[in-house]
Amino acid sequence: MVKLRAPLFITRHVLFALVGGGAAGILFMAFLIEFDHFSSSNAFCTTCHSMSFAEESYKASVHYNNASGVRASCGDCHVSEGVFAATWDHAVGGKDLLKQIKGKLFGPDYDDPVVTALHLPEAAFAARKWFKAKDSATCKRCHELEAIEGKRADTAAIHREETAGKSCIDCHINLVHRKVPGEETFKRDAWNRMVEEEFGLKEGEAAARFGAH
Amino acid sequence: MGRRYRSRWLSLLMLGGLVLGPGLALAAKVKLEPSNWGHPAGEACASCHAKSSAGLHQQWQESAHAKAGVNCMDCHQAAREDSDAIEHEGQVIATIVSPKDCGRCHTVEVEEQQGSVHAEAVAVVGERIKALADNLTGPAIQAAGCDQCHGSVVKVRGDGTLDPATWPNSGIGRVNPDGSKGSCSACHGRHAFSRAQAREPEACVRCHAGPDSPDKEVFEASKHGMLYAANRDKMNLSSETWVAGKDYSAAPTCATCHMGAAGKLPPSHDVGMRDAWRLNSPVSEKQYLVMFVDGDKRDLPESQEPPKRGEQFLKNDGTEAEVKFVIPPDRRRQAMQAVCLECHSKAVTEGFMKQFDNVVELFNTKFAIPARDIMADLYASGKLTPLPFDEPVELTYWELWHDEGARARHGASMASPNHAWWEGMYLVGRNFYSRFLPQVREVGGPEASAIIDRHVTDKEQHQWLKQPQQANPILGFGKPEAGGG
Repeated sequence: MVKLRAPLFITRHVLFALVGGGAAGILFMAFLIEFDHFSSSNAFCTTCHSMSFAEESYKASVHYNNASGVRASCGDCHVSEGVFAATWDHAVGGKDLLKQIKGKLFGPDYDDPVVTALHLPEAAFAARKWFKAKDSATCKRCHELEAIEGKRADTAAIHREETAGKSCIDCHINLVHRKVPGEETFKRDAWNRMVEEEFGLKEGEAAARFGAH
Repeated sequence: MGRRYRSRWLSLLMLGGLVLGPGLALAAKVKLEPSNWGHPAGEACASCHAKSSAGLHQQWQESAHAKAGVNCMDCHQAAREDSDAIEHEGQVIATIVSPKDCGRCHTVEVEEQQGSVHAEAVAVVGERIKALADNLTGPAIQAAGCDQCHGSVVKVRGDGTLDPATWPNSGIGRVNPDGSKGSCSACHGRHAFSRAQAREPEACVRCHAGPDSPDKEVFEASKHGMLYAANRDKMNLSSETWVAGKDYSAAPTCATCHMGAAGKLPPSHDVGMRDAWRLNSPVSEKQYLVMFVDGDKRDLPESQEPPKRGEQFLKNDGTEAEVKFVIPPDRRRQAMQAVCLECHSKAVTEGFMKQFDNVVELFNTKFAIPARDIMADLYASGKLTPLPFDEPVELTYWELWHDEGARARHGASMASPNHAWWEGMYLVGRNFYSRFLPQVREVGGPEASAIIDRHVTDKEQHQWLKQPQQANPILGFGKPEAGGG
């Protein structure tokens, strides 16, 4: 009968450290999971006033209101699956928070709907690149290519026969948020004119506000 | 006589030749080499659109375009810097295919079309929109009404979408994002672009119908329309060339006389080139056609001094350009008559034109000019406010030339007796005497009689009013008609 003995280097202190560290690790992971979960919620995202502009268009979209009763939250689309990837996405997203805070102190103030509207295209381009890089992974959490039937006769056929080498985001842009053109054909001047018209600004004011940082 | 006749033909040919380029008695062939057709991405478009918009795809598939290997991308491709360029499935395209786009292949047709009354249809209504659409009704009518025929000024919004206040639109004078004017699909229905369809009178009906330009109704009520209805299957509408008197002779359509080839007269996409008169105006005038070196054109009323070749002259858009040459009204009439002569004798043709001209002159001298001068007096004396349509007499005056006056003139120009008379000149006379003049008396006050005497009662054509004792049994009173039943 062999008696089980801890190796000699497992001293009492080491044992405490291992148990304590393990517990802390478990707690930390639990915290990350909870934090990712919490920080993916609509309530958290819209704490920043600037995000309430994105919320407006989202609430008018099918991803918010639809017959099936399924509702996609901010995080469902914009935060990756898995605790590490989700944490990373939040860390990257943290720069928006920094900008928000920096903007409050030095400008541009993203709580200003004009500023948000002016910067929206770049945000959209970045988001599209993210979706593309992830092969639209978050879309696929809910949408299964093989299961897409659609209401029109040919929707199913299009998704079977015309999607080779394509990712959801290649075709489905401007679904939820305010329409932004493709990056290749985007024209800053025309966008600025539109924002000026919308907010009753003088010509040139948009460019001034956009460039003021 | 023979020599004079020959020289006329020579000038006619020159007119056609200068406008259209040499050797174009037949339909113009496309200029772009076939090796440039068949964009490699077009196959993918067609594959998906066969499912997503099957009707559109089928129209294209059965078209001459598809048979020649011309696909979606050949027409819809755009440069990324184009204001209306959008990204679509990895390609840079534009929704609007403008005359400039069509002109990559159909060069001659687009050159003819640019500067024509069709291409300039937005400018024609310009100021009228505010008075008629905005004031009299409301701005919402412009997109669904005015602009669908005249064309919208298409606005591309900052987000790349086309402003629904200006799009969809296939008005004939549409001002496109690329600056070109017109919409080929106004007459050539998408996406089949069938030549047979465009040659039918129905190609014009969407706009040339109704109270102010009842050309559909006029044509149908004329003997030309009667023969067309009976002989539609003999019209050879799908023929590659469509020369009146050669490829068909059963009947003319709108396109035959206003655009078509006939004998030695070449076809033209300048639909107003053969119009000697300007019919849709308060007072009709014959008109010069000023051709500019840069390809633009301008109609100029006969009362104005025409420019000389090589002179700088004002264009429709307000800029100046060098004049290439000026076509006088009688040459324009000759071009039109060249079509008539394929089926009618010279005497009949000229006699018909005389009857038509007489109606225009009658309208001008007896009603249009007096009414215009009366209105001018009322405005000058402050009896009418400068704002149009806030006084009933202004609507009566407007309709006198724009509606019944136009119907009378169009009816006479295209041989519908009903429109020349009952729908036209009869109403002009009725409304002039029983609506316009009483309303003038109402707003004119004590001075009205003098104004009316000066412009109407003292004039020869209105002397019948001074013979109230001349009985006529038309109303059932007075002496019986001789031989009447």
